Amino acid sequence: MIRFFEKEPYSPIEYTYEVEKVLYKGKSQCQEILVIENPYFGKILILDGIVQLTERDEFFYHEMLTHVVMHAHPDPKRIVVIGGGDGGVVREVLKHGTVEKVYLVELDEEVINISKRFFPTLSSKVDDPKVEINIMDGADFIKKVSPSIDVIIVDSTDIIGFARSLFTEDFFYSVMKALKQDGMFVTHSESLHFHLDIVIEVQKILKKAFPLVDLYSVPIATYPGNWWAFSIGSKKLNPRDIRRPFEIKTRYYDDEIHRQAFLPHKLYRKLMDKKLIW
Amino acid sequence: MLRSFNIDKLHAKLISKPTLFKALSYIDKQIIQTPFLLIDTEKMKEKISLIGENIRNSKVFYALKANPDVAIADFVSKQNIGFEIASEGELKILSSLGIKPAKIISSNPVKSIKFLEMAADYGVKCFSYDSTDEVEKIAKYAPRSNVYVRLSVPNEGSEWPLSKKFGVELDDAVRLLSYAKQKALNPIGVTFHVGSQCQNPYNWNIAIDKAKILWDMAEREGMKLSLLNIGGGYPINYTKGTISIDIIESNINKLILEKFPEDIEIYIEPGRSIVGDAGILVSTVIGKAKRYDEDWLYIDVGIFNGLMESLGGIRYSYIVENNKSKNKRWTMAGPSCDSFDVIDRNITLPEPDIGCLILILSSGAYTVSYASEFNGFSIPKNILI
Ligand SMILES: Cc1ncc(COP(=O)(O)O)c(C=O)c1O
Repeated sequence: MIRFFEKEPYSPIEYTYEVEKVLYKGKSQCQEILVIENPYFGKILILDGIVQLTERDEFFYHEMLTHVVMHAHPDPKRIVVIGGGDGGVVREVLKHGTVEKVYLVELDEEVINISKRFFPTLSSKVDDPKVEINIMDGADFIKKVSPSIDVIIVDSTDIIGFARSLFTEDFFYSVMKALKQDGMFVTHSESLHFHLDIVIEVQKILKKAFPLVDLYSVPIATYPGNWWAFSIGSKKLNPRDIRRPFEIKTRYYDDEIHRQAFLPHKLYRKLMDKKLIW
Repeated sequence: MLRSFNIDKLHAKLISKPTLFKALSYIDKQIIQTPFLLIDTEKMKEKISLIGENIRNSKVFYALKANPDVAIADFVSKQNIGFEIASEGELKILSSLGIKPAKIISSNPVKSIKFLEMAADYGVKCFSYDSTDEVEKIAKYAPRSNVYVRLSVPNEGSEWPLSKKFGVELDDAVRLLSYAKQKALNPIGVTFHVGSQCQNPYNWNIAIDKAKILWDMAEREGMKLSLLNIGGGYPINYTKGTISIDIIESNINKLILEKFPEDIEIYIEPGRSIVGDAGILVSTVIGKAKRYDEDWLYIDVGIFNGLMESLGGIRYSYIVENNKSKNKRWTMAGPSCDSFDVIDRNITLPEPDIGCLILILSSGAYTVSYASEFNGFSIPKNILI
């Protein structure tokens, strides 16, 4: 039996997957791309040795990355998705009738192509007329876009890889500038178990740029440490509140999940003050 | 396109993900002239709060020699610990920052007269010594100071031994304590140094046993001591894990509780363990060569402008910027024309292109403070991140 060994040096557990079939193996300008078939998870997309998504459980990640800010915002019309070339976030964003325009900004065009070829359920909406695809560095895009954006979502790879420009203070400042009054920003910030120091660091950098910063988490089976954190920066509105009726079709996210996904305030303080370390 | 680096499990053990993120973000942002030394202040802060935690009644004094950068000294002073210094130059750095004299001690057993005068004038009150001449000098130029005698202790298992140059045996030590008293100095205690980068925890056992014998001998001579200065020596991780500071300190604390009076005061003088693993030297590959069957890699920092400790046996870990090439065995050398200037042999690294960066981990201590501009190669500047 062939096995795939994940290469995340900062994960104390090494994840391995049974490989039924290697569907694609290639190298883009940016990274190594691998698509495998696993008996439990179905197709798996792997970038630079790290699992990005599996057919079976991707909805946990994509729904939760997208719908929390989309429901906390009173009227999200213009959306920017950075990274996320697989199309999962775009698919979720377009479930909202308010949306008029989605800019999908992906550095690696190959990811979009591979997703169209192997993950049609994810990429189904990237060719929607509301979607404008930009193949470029998300940080450059955000610097130039007119300040008219309601929601910015970063769906990137590892923070120490080439996505690291999407976690800097400079980037968060340009995000802040690109957003309208009620604007909100969300990015993944790794595992509360294995990368707590990164979660804290991202929260700290976000706080330099945004008046309101918060954190929620989602259990994801296929990311190291599983207890995955998403960080929000908001210009004005508390992201814990839901400002529009929950009317879309989802599998995991709903209004109740929205409220319970955020860390309880006491736990949040404890983590940030490094009073709970393990 | 951002630079990509080859990061593996070994690196993950030596450097935290946020530190690496900060270092790489700094590199991405600046158009830079290598070599330079990035210092992660968060890491320093973490180490400072760890050191002394497990030793009752202890005070920490940063051994400035490890890295005397002004911004580092300023940061350290804001963490509310003191400084251990040896020279006029080091005192000048602290006085420029307005550090209070009560926060400064000098454990250099042989001090220059000029330094003693300056230190006494500044208000520094604590000095070590291990000779009668030094007693006379201190009595003359820094009268009525508090003094502690330096014992010689085994330095086996330390990468950078210090025992051959300093310290006296027990009989001489008591005599020196009495002599200090006779010269109207205030003999308050005893100090030792187990050797820098000490990986042998028994060195502290032996040293503390010896200090206890001296303590009792002094008492029989009618001198009641109050201070045990345990010097530096706490190790950091270079290429692999080493004994942790909390284990070393728990052991020291247990020994002190067993042997010494309850009100004893403990001084710790860490240098390496405060800045060492907070530092990342950033260097550039300037050449490659094949000599017989050896592959040589030349970088712009070497023995003379930063990596002097490799001569004493310190081995570093490297993160290489590359495009995922295969591993090779290398001899790594610095930029100068001297054949001493070889940093490491038989190291396995992926092959970088010329112009690629090499990050040298755990390089914050005893690197730039030792460096010279021999052959015109610049000394890396400290940059706090
Ligand atoms: C007297 C004295 N104290 C403290 C130190 C600092 O030692 P380390 O850097 O090993 O902690 C030294 C180092 O040479 C020293 O000579």
